[in-house]
Amino acid sequence: MGYKVEWFKGIFPALVTPFTRSGAVDEQAYRQLIRFVLPHVNGVVSCGTTGEFSSLTLDERKRVTEICLDEVAGRVPVVVGTGCKSTRETLILTRWARDAGADAALVVAPYFLKPTFNEVYDHFRAVDEIGLPLVLYNIPQCAGTHFRWWTAEGMALDFEHVIGIKDSSGDLPFLEALFEKVRGHVAIFVGHDEIVQAALAAGADGAILASANLIPDIWQQVYQATLKGELAIAQEWQQKVQKLVRIVVNCSSTQAVKEGLRMMGLEVGDSRHPIMPGDGFRREDYEELRVQLELLGKIGKAPLVYEAGGRRIVTEVFATPQTPCVVSDLTLRVGEGFAGPPFHELAHVDLLLGLKDGPVGRAIERALAGWGEERGLRLINERPRTLLVPTVTVRTPKQRALLYEYAVAGINIAIQASIADGFLPEALLDQLALIVNAFVHPAASIARRIMLNNYKATLQAIRKAIEGRPTLEELFNEKVCARHPFRYAP
Amino acid sequence: MPAKAAWLQGLFPALVTPFVFETEEVDEDAYRRLIRHVLPHVNGLVTSGTTGEFPYLTRQEQRRLVEIAVEEADGKPVIAGCGASSTQEALALAHDAAAAGASAALIVAPFFLRPSDKGLHQHFYEIATSVDLPIILYNIPQMVDAYLPRPVVEDLADLPNVIGLKDSSGDLSYTMELLEYVGDRIDILVGHDEVALPALAGGVSGLILASGQVYPEIWQAIIRLVREGRLEEARALQRSIQKLSRIFCRHGGGVAVKAALRMMGLDMGPPRRPLKAVGGALIHETQAEIRLELEKLGKIAPVDIPFAYPSAPLTERFQELGIAPETVASSGLRVGSGTAGEGLNRVQIDLIAGGKSTLLGEVYALQLTYPLRGREALTTILEPALTVRPATLLLPTVPQRNLRQANMIYGPTQSALARAIVDALEIGRIPTSAVDGEVIIALATVHPQALDRHALYRSAYAAATQALAQAFAAET
Repeated sequence: MGYKVEWFKGIFPALVTPFTRSGAVDEQAYRQLIRFVLPHVNGVVSCGTTGEFSSLTLDERKRVTEICLDEVAGRVPVVVGTGCKSTRETLILTRWARDAGADAALVVAPYFLKPTFNEVYDHFRAVDEIGLPLVLYNIPQCAGTHFRWWTAEGMALDFEHVIGIKDSSGDLPFLEALFEKVRGHVAIFVGHDEIVQAALAAGADGAILASANLIPDIWQQVYQATLKGELAIAQEWQQKVQKLVRIVVNCSSTQAVKEGLRMMGLEVGDSRHPIMPGDGFRREDYEELRVQLELLGKIGKAPLVYEAGGRRIVTEVFATPQTPCVVSDLTLRVGEGFAGPPFHELAHVDLLLGLKDGPVGRAIERALAGWGEERGLRLINERPRTLLVPTVTVRTPKQRALLYEYAVAGINIAIQASIADGFLPEALLDQLALIVNAFVHPAASIARRIMLNNYKATLQAIRKAIEGRPTLEELFNEKVCARHPFRYAP
Repeated sequence: MPAKAAWLQGLFPALVTPFVFETEEVDEDAYRRLIRHVLPHVNGLVTSGTTGEFPYLTRQEQRRLVEIAVEEADGKPVIAGCGASSTQEALALAHDAAAAGASAALIVAPFFLRPSDKGLHQHFYEIATSVDLPIILYNIPQMVDAYLPRPVVEDLADLPNVIGLKDSSGDLSYTMELLEYVGDRIDILVGHDEVALPALAGGVSGLILASGQVYPEIWQAIIRLVREGRLEEARALQRSIQKLSRIFCRHGGGVAVKAALRMMGLDMGPPRRPLKAVGGALIHETQAEIRLELEKLGKIAPVDIPFAYPSAPLTERFQELGIAPETVASSGLRVGSGTAGEGLNRVQIDLIAGGKSTLLGEVYALQLTYPLRGREALTTILEPALTVRPATLLLPTVPQRNLRQANMIYGPTQSALARAIVDALEIGRIPTSAVDGEVIIALATVHPQALDRHALYRSAYAAATQALAQAFAAET
């Protein structure tokens, strides 16, 4: 029979494993990360899925865990991911973790060659016999092996050292079945960031989360509020972070968390290949994650100096390490933004930013005096002077309304947001001009998505124009693997 | 070979159901036109199948379609689609079909409320034992969200009235399993256009296909070639229709078939709502692709678009942008040109680069305010949200008449140009100072009939690389 331990409850971040630029484990960054999360958490997990255990050698997994144990120094429990594809390797690593002083092993269901239920059961039984407290780990999205409740129940109740089950499936009916079968006997942890509050309210003992690297304090508040029965507060926090965690869960979580930490000023490198920037964690996810971290107060403001027209204007913007300190050339800056889905409601914005008395401003005046009416151009904002240029010929009244009402509304929201957050400085608005090329697909329908996608795409385009992104490094890193959607036949 | 129904072999097109615009009424005249068009090439007809939008048809309408088909079929067998989610309704449809003169009923696995094996067996058993009409079982997991389990089919195959099974799954391992277990008792027909040839070679008796009304003669030729063991020729034919077949199977279904027929002069009207004639499952880009594929097959005549690769002296090629030849030199602008590829895949890139504060900066901004119909300038990207630097505009010189043609420019040509620019930057051909200080405008000339995206990408990459080398030659 498994058992419950007093310490296994609350919020446990599934720590990312930082890498240096040369690809080695970055010990200093790892220690820094642990120091960052420690005040807010009940324990930590090393070498979990978010820790990229499947991309680490056995030696690296040991080293990472050693660093973690050393840095934590007994202040909170350390749960170590020791699951491997085979029973043989899992046993080796779990024995090692026991001897190294881990508090528990988190063991994923063996993956790739999909074992049957009884093979899974016997795998865990062998691990259980090592004697280290054991947390069974269900993550069918990655493992392709789903515990059924009868497997989980059997393992939790038949084995001696099981202290908990971590379920990352996000499958609430499954979680409820676990509560029905084994609650009270072992701890049940939720591992799916999108349903943390629901799971805790339903009776989960804690959460092991990728996003707890980024927002450990918020998750601790959700946990504490739930303990006190303050459900409304817990719900409110869950909803505030829902967009952020949806990105983390669904878009290459390790890379998303790492780029989020980088935006917050904690450089932990990128994920190991094949996980890479701009892939599952898409460029537009990056921008959205950034905005969400800003809204939650996780990215601070820094001064940005504009030198334009002989003036020097200092503004404050939400800055990432990619944000420059000085923008001195406002002749012609180019930014591009992309947001979707759905397909027909995608927004793709080409944006030019410059001074009214430069190429951008002059082009606007010439266009308005010349072909503005004929080509459907519209002046949609005065400060900064903003010209909308439709890039797909408008053919139907529906398309016209979607473009001039909804897409334009989205673009203007983005402009106002950029003024508020300092990227378009108030003191420069009378001198600035924008040309925004936008389109609405002839088959588009969903008005609200068109507005929101154009808002997101325009916000990205403005920031990228100011910040000079993408960087050359990004272009060089991704040129070979870039996937242009129109390059291939249906 | 099963001998329950000797006629159940060869090609049976799954006819679309024509509707009148606005009223969405069944267009009987169009239906007759369609049948007359396909009849010489087919072994029989299928009414109100999935392609025929059967879930949107009333019982009366389905019966009427069978009557018309029987009238027009000139003695060829008519298979009546009698699909329904309830057994009661399927029974009623099958009774109607028998009365209207159908040769068999095609019964899809019950959908929406999905029964388990017993319920499935009961459904087909009840119909097969109470209607005086042969039954063809119909497996289409793409719509039903479940397969007909082979053990259930095994039992049903013993019923005298069950003569065949149409498998639209496209899953050949399932098809082969059926042939293994019931192939000696009932005829297996394949209903997935993409795998028709391998299925025929594997031993199925015939084809029930959406594209059987678009290129029936090609399917007949494939059937004949397989029978004669001339597989090489059969493969060549299947490959010639692979893309269209894929579109019909996976990118638009009956709606795409209607679009193809309309292009061929057989207007079958719109689908019934909520399906859209275009802009739903069939997107505009795919519709344009259908046209070019039909041109390739000779089903419709290609539209001739006059065009020429620019041949004036290089400095004169940018006059349309408002850049006079003498300005090129006096403003210190760089120009370069490259050409690569043969025939339809030949691409020419003429580009001009220069400082943002020069005339070119003005031209660049102006171009983005001036959408030329069919020749919209686009910012060059490796992929969405990955803009190349220096900022580059791509401008087609030949007006794009449809989205398919536009795709050739904005897809392969653009991404090749993007890659060439980033490569030129990385090797230092384009100086780092240009990244923030300059802009590029590239004019791309692509043959309007170009079809091969991969070849086009390679030509465009080579042409762009040459053009960049010439333009930035002074830097190295």
